[in-house]
Amino acid sequence: MGKYSWSKLMFLTMLIMVLALAACGGGSEEETSEEEGSGDTGSEESTEEGSEEETEEGSDDSASAEDIYNYEDFNKTVSNDGEVTGEGTLKVGLTSDTPFEGTLNFNLYQGNPDFEVISLFDEPLLTMDEDFQFTNDGAMTFEVNEDDNTVTFTLNEDVTWHDGEPATIEDYVYAYEVIGHPEYPGIRGATDGFTLLEGYNEYKAGEADEISGIEVIDEQTAVFTYTELAPSLTAGGFWYYLMPEHHYEGVEIADMAEAPQTRENPLGIGPYKVDSVTPGEAVVMSKFEDYWRGEPNLDGIELSVVSPSSVANAMETGEIDLAINFPTDQFPDVSEMEGVEWLANIEGSYTYIGFKLGEWNEDEGRVDYKPEEMKMGDPELRRAMWHAMDNDAVGERFYNGLRWKATTLITPYHANWHDDSVEVPEYDPDQANQILDEAGYEDTDGDGFRETPEGEPLEINFASMSGGDIAEPLANYYIQSWKDIGLNVQLTNGRLIEFNTFYDMLENDDPEVDVYQGAWGVGSDVDPYGLYGPDVDFNYPRYESEESTQLMEEGNSPEAFDVERRQEIYNEWQALMVEEMPVVPTLYRSFVVPVNERVVNYSIDLGFNEETAPYNWGVTETE
Amino acid sequence: MLKFTIRRLLITFPQLVILSVLVFIMGSMMPGDALSGLIDPSIPAEAIQARREQLGLDNPWYIQYRDWIFAMFQGDFGTSIFHQRPVMDVIGDRLMNTVWLSLFSTVLIYLLGLPLGLVSGRYNDSLLDNAITGYTYLGFATPQFIFGLIILWIFGYNLGWFPTGGSVAPGLEPGSIDYILSKINHLVLPSFAIALIGLVGTVQYLRSGIIETKQKDFIILARAKGVKESAVYNKHVFRNSILPIAAFFGYEIVALLGGSIFIEMIYSYPGMGRLFLDSISTRDFSVANVLILFYGFLAIVGALVSDIILSIVDPRIRIK
Repeated sequence: MGKYSWSKLMFLTMLIMVLALAACGGGSEEETSEEEGSGDTGSEESTEEGSEEETEEGSDDSASAEDIYNYEDFNKTVSNDGEVTGEGTLKVGLTSDTPFEGTLNFNLYQGNPDFEVISLFDEPLLTMDEDFQFTNDGAMTFEVNEDDNTVTFTLNEDVTWHDGEPATIEDYVYAYEVIGHPEYPGIRGATDGFTLLEGYNEYKAGEADEISGIEVIDEQTAVFTYTELAPSLTAGGFWYYLMPEHHYEGVEIADMAEAPQTRENPLGIGPYKVDSVTPGEAVVMSKFEDYWRGEPNLDGIELSVVSPSSVANAMETGEIDLAINFPTDQFPDVSEMEGVEWLANIEGSYTYIGFKLGEWNEDEGRVDYKPEEMKMGDPELRRAMWHAMDNDAVGERFYNGLRWKATTLITPYHANWHDDSVEVPEYDPDQANQILDEAGYEDTDGDGFRETPEGEPLEINFASMSGGDIAEPLANYYIQSWKDIGLNVQLTNGRLIEFNTFYDMLENDDPEVDVYQGAWGVGSDVDPYGLYGPDVDFNYPRYESEESTQLMEEGNSPEAFDVERRQEIYNEWQALMVEEMPVVPTLYRSFVVPVNERVVNYSIDLGFNEETAPYNWGVTETE
Repeated sequence: MLKFTIRRLLITFPQLVILSVLVFIMGSMMPGDALSGLIDPSIPAEAIQARREQLGLDNPWYIQYRDWIFAMFQGDFGTSIFHQRPVMDVIGDRLMNTVWLSLFSTVLIYLLGLPLGLVSGRYNDSLLDNAITGYTYLGFATPQFIFGLIILWIFGYNLGWFPTGGSVAPGLEPGSIDYILSKINHLVLPSFAIALIGLVGTVQYLRSGIIETKQKDFIILARAKGVKESAVYNKHVFRNSILPIAAFFGYEIVALLGGSIFIEMIYSYPGMGRLFLDSISTRDFSVANVLILFYGFLAIVGALVSDIILSIVDPRIRIK
């Protein structure tokens, strides 16, 4: 009898605990959202200092009270400057919750994890400076001849493949021939570096057996003829990887990605050569003594995939020496880790709020910009919404400062082109209200929301992507901010949208989307045409203006080879985009990399530096 | 029995066809395809469109389905767009890992679960039984991923007894003794993480089965005839209590072969669970379709195996 009542009691206790937990969960959620709401509207000061104060006030229950970081306070290169032992194995952790795909060739891979793996045993031929301009410090040098639109490429004669074969310029030409081949299984070969090459388009269409614009002079030299020399060519435009022709002998181009030459014994010219590949999990590399720059400082590199849930532990125990793609949101919790130095740098991407201002015209293959028909067509409305967003607070509260308020559509990642003098609307709900009042958006039917100047109800649908812990509170935060200035904003579909569905809706100009939150990664070249040109699909706002198009075209014309001129053009474009605001950039981003203190010469700085090139990586203590 | 098995397998064929058609239709209704994840400003949309045409992703679903079926009858299960290699190779890599993991976990589940259930049923309401049932409640309540993380943290990182991720130490020659030992070493933590949580069902079923059976008349008769207590339990009670477990055995195997997404993520273990989830979220339908068919086939075979086992342990059940 006693035993039975004991187990009944236990059951009851468990039930109560379950209920209590459920209640707690619900309660705290409400609390936070209320607090956020009051934080946004309550303060009259509504300046940056004001928001900081609020952060302190609300500090007791949320993560927002933690330290605020700034990537500029971090080192970009490890501070250990001790003596390199010249031996030892560097253990690199690739943070990912899925195995890497294993297409281990620069010319064939698709996913970023593969790229990270390949970068350890192969290397780009052309080096770049911190402004993403090609320099002549790499295995290959180039010389531009503007008179006849040619470029002469010369490959260093010391460059050797890992199997001992000397690398020749033919391997460089072969990369173009593979990527441009009609049967090439990938999506490369549509950028300026290819399409501006004479005869390339004919080759790609299968009309020619070779690319007529390429002339091989000798084993080391080739002259490429272009139809036009665009500035993008020297900013990441030229293809800069070799393709080992001898290694792929007898392999059909369509089958290259799945061939054992790619997956089991990939070949490169980098300082470390691949010994073995454990599919999806790990790659073991050893020193390549004939590396063209000199002898590498390590016996080898061991790369393994580490789960994001255990990567911090793996760093702490020394199981790995550095973690690529470390999840930034974990950083505040583990920033005090012993024996580890944290490096940080800016990421080439930005988050933005976009407004649908037109539709895609399939027949003409360009956007049909028609602001007068669209809900968000009024720039005053968009300006008010910009004023209503406190992105400084978003960066500090949600991202501990590792993301911060964005200003223009060219990120500081492109430091040479980013214009920090452009004035953007600051967080100021009063001014937002005022703008809306003046533009005629008034609450005429007393429901608490503003109507359009014509007196029609204004219901704005906001689409946002799912993924990550922050996605939902962030979307709610923006909706709340807009409600606070009297705009009736609803989440499209009533919930966050999965990635593929989200972009599907944007691409098809789904009428359920008026405003959306997206993000773009930017390439090495600053040219924004691929995102905002009138005839590109990715122009999701469907915005077009003569001025903007003209500026973007000038920015990538021969005239823009003059850096100062190009800066002028892009400064003008950035200011124009703030004025017209088809999209509002919201956040710039940074990333962190933990590195064990025994590592030397490792850097995540932009731009090539001989000292921190992979062959100089080393350790001061071997285990 | 043979006739029964063959008949059951024959019925599966139309089931699989219907399954594949459904999967294909639903796949085509899902927004996006394997290339829509490649949104990158440096890749013009035309290039993606051209690739789409090259792969035939633009065709209506029935054309794609026809091509797929024809190719399959010629032994070609298609190429994964995401992994850029034949689907069978992609699955093959992962399947062996999952087979080993599920084999280990199944053995552990029964090796630990059966004695625990036996003890707890035989001495029910004793302190020992309370401890075991307490553990099963805890096991029911603990999410697998929390448990996996905890034992990874204790045995992997703090004590350092076992490797913390992957399926094998990198750089070993496949097939060598070291390689096999390393594989087993890598299996210990994830399979315990699965088994220690997975065995609670087995323990509970067995416990309640034994408690029920031991009060039955034929057990009392056996005792009255003077059969030894251990023989009563091992021969009469156990055999009659194991029916529900035997009935679930087939399903259990199938579930384990499906892969455990959480365990695979925590231990960076390349298995089937992640592959399936990823192939859906990346819209890599050539992989997803084959996997669904494979799972469907497994489910049918699992039910069949369960029936056969049941007919062996319970003579009352006759298969016709």
